[in-house]
Amino acid sequence: MIRCRIASSLAAIVLAASALAHGDEKHGPSDGAAATAAPLPQLPAAVSPLPWDVGGAFDLVDHTGAARSEADPQGRMQLLFFGYASCPGICSAALPLMAEMAKDLAEGGVDVVPVMITIDPKLDSVATMGPALAEISPRFVGLTGTPEALDVAYQAFGVEFEHLFDDPEHGPIYAHGSHIYLLDGAGKVLTLLPPVLPPEQAVAIARRYVKES
Amino acid sequence: MRAIAALVALLAPFPALAAGERVSIQGEVIDTWCYYSGVMGGPDAVVGTAHHTCALWCSAGGIPVGILGDDGQVYMVLKIEGDDGSASGDTQLRLASHQVTADGMLYERDGLKYIVVEKVVSDGITNLSHEDYDVIPPFAIPKPKN
Repeated sequence: MIRCRIASSLAAIVLAASALAHGDEKHGPSDGAAATAAPLPQLPAAVSPLPWDVGGAFDLVDHTGAARSEADPQGRMQLLFFGYASCPGICSAALPLMAEMAKDLAEGGVDVVPVMITIDPKLDSVATMGPALAEISPRFVGLTGTPEALDVAYQAFGVEFEHLFDDPEHGPIYAHGSHIYLLDGAGKVLTLLPPVLPPEQAVAIARRYVKES
Repeated sequence: MRAIAALVALLAPFPALAAGERVSIQGEVIDTWCYYSGVMGGPDAVVGTAHHTCALWCSAGGIPVGILGDDGQVYMVLKIEGDDGSASGDTQLRLASHQVTADGMLYERDGLKYIVVEKVVSDGITNLSHEDYDVIPPFAIPKPKN
């Protein structure tokens, strides 16, 4: 029950956090927060092999109704996240981060496509995913499919989720995985990214894998 | 054999892991969103009891928890004891803002440290930061409707 009560409040706190950082109301102890954020670790010089056996083949349908596998049809690098388009929780942090990363990388000449695989195909259908994701970024590709086809992807990435409750405003609320995977054009996992990183740090990490992709 | 089976069970469903480095980390279980973003204030303000309620909200919403080690390093939690994920599980919620000693496997990637916590060997709240910062953010404490 505690999860139910507090999960529904995340959207409010994330939005409030943004207001604290960017709004014009009185700021609290966070004045100048960006300047006082925790220091980020330095990137090592070399890319090391991925220590996790994660990823694999899947066959799903994108938000336009076209079949799509783990490989990008145009061979672009991919940022992959498992969530749902109306998610008020971690997706509201991860999906905008992915969109910003794709934009920043594109400006630097690196074409990366953000991809979200739904954890609720009833909620995220071919008809509904596109408009919802386009509100975050027109670059987004949404993937859905049959429960069986989706389960193949969940298994490949060790994704687990749990339906917590139905929120009157947001609909179904899930607890679910929260890492972003960076894939090459063929669908091989290059690394993972915590969705809490500042965009510039996440972009710097992704750039390291351009040669490998 | 039983120990191996238990370890395998612990690591599932997170994908199979190569050998990491066995470590014992002492530190606080933190809300990595507020810690890294700085939106709620500097690093000192978003740890300890001052930030406990906010840390619960963020974890419940899926923000991966971390351990801010006494060495100043942040260890991103991939799994912790009986809970499969990096956030929102009962264990992650129970340990929010707690000072722990965590035994597990360490993996380093892209300058970040990841830990699969196999066992929390000590657990307590010792960082009473609300005495210095009150509640961060103030609206983290829900107001009763009536």
